[in-house]
Amino acid sequence: MTDDPIAALLSRVAAQDRAAFRDLYRLTASKLMGVLLRILGERAEAEDALQELYTRVWLRAGRFDASRGRGMSWLIALARNLAIDRFRARRETASDDEAMEAVVDTAPRAETRMVALGEAKRVTDCFATLEQAQAEAVRGAYLSGLSYIDLAARHGVPLNTMRTWLRRSLLKLKECLER
Amino acid sequence: MTDTALTPAEEDDALAAEYVLGVLDLPDRLAAEARAKAEPAFAARIAAWENHFAALNDGYAEAPAPNLLPQIEARLFPKPERPRFNWFRLVGAAGLVASLLLAVALVLPRAEPDFVARLATTDASLAYEAQFDDGKLTVTRVAGTAAEPGRVHQLWMIAPGQAPISLGLLAEAELALDYPLPPPGWLLAVSVEPEGGSPSGLPTGPVILTAQVGA
Repeated sequence: MTDDPIAALLSRVAAQDRAAFRDLYRLTASKLMGVLLRILGERAEAEDALQELYTRVWLRAGRFDASRGRGMSWLIALARNLAIDRFRARRETASDDEAMEAVVDTAPRAETRMVALGEAKRVTDCFATLEQAQAEAVRGAYLSGLSYIDLAARHGVPLNTMRTWLRRSLLKLKECLER
Repeated sequence: MTDTALTPAEEDDALAAEYVLGVLDLPDRLAAEARAKAEPAFAARIAAWENHFAALNDGYAEAPAPNLLPQIEARLFPKPERPRFNWFRLVGAAGLVASLLLAVALVLPRAEPDFVARLATTDASLAYEAQFDDGKLTVTRVAGTAAEPGRVHQLWMIAPGQAPISLGLLAEAELALDYPLPPPGWLLAVSVEPEGGSPSGLPTGPVILTAQVGA
């Protein structure tokens, strides 16, 4: 895939090419740091997560499938999942007990990371069919990895109301995407 | 917390979208992940939403990232502590006599590997031998059998204070890979994982064997 240099680097990383791994880091670390920082909020933790992330990239590059999506999208999905798992674990465990964190961290993860090409415009168009507040809530939830609890607090509504409201937006979005 | 108005398919779709957005609390999130692992149809719904939402990725601003490559590479690729013996320096220093001796030495098989670790259960019913030699690691099952059907033994390297790194699956009797002898304090471990290996990149099943390695 000549128009996707990140995908090309990922294939070389999958073949244990360390030079490609370094190039990949140089090309993608700032974007992925942006993702981790946005969700985790703290630079020290984001930097720690960045190390963990690239360790996973090295180990899992073989699972990337260039026919299913762009390299950067795959990396961002990996970064979001790592950051959201860490953030939830930090917020919801009673203590900073390392053992508990280890249990959380070893939980199984969804493996499919399919991100198809040429979707962006259609999705943007469908977001435009939502009311602006709805679209903003969905977009904010995605980018910041906010939980329902955070969202409810932000919008000043009960949690159940927040969930019903967001779910309606999601299904409306889906209806548009399938049209 | 279920919307009674939703059909089961809508319910699943909403849940998949919520998972990808990241709005679920930890128990719900873990439950959704477990479902995705067990149900390909649900995993496909998640994949579809990841695909859709990737369109929002431009919303992430770049942030300056320090060069953490040295730390990352130290976790992934430990360097051997001792420099390898330099035959050529020996030849140059000791001249013809030594080089003749060397010719003999090169014909002889290598005497000892750099380091051998044994990973065994207390009753020795299952044992692996991990041999580090010349930048290569060879792990051989010397007692017992492979994991039961549907399971696999997975080999991990654990640097002090770090998360385990998978070195591969011990489905066959022997696993060989390029891996230099790590420094003291590092651990080799074997866990029991689902067929195909740990889905998370970290041990998910019981760790049954460990051994210290390191020069």
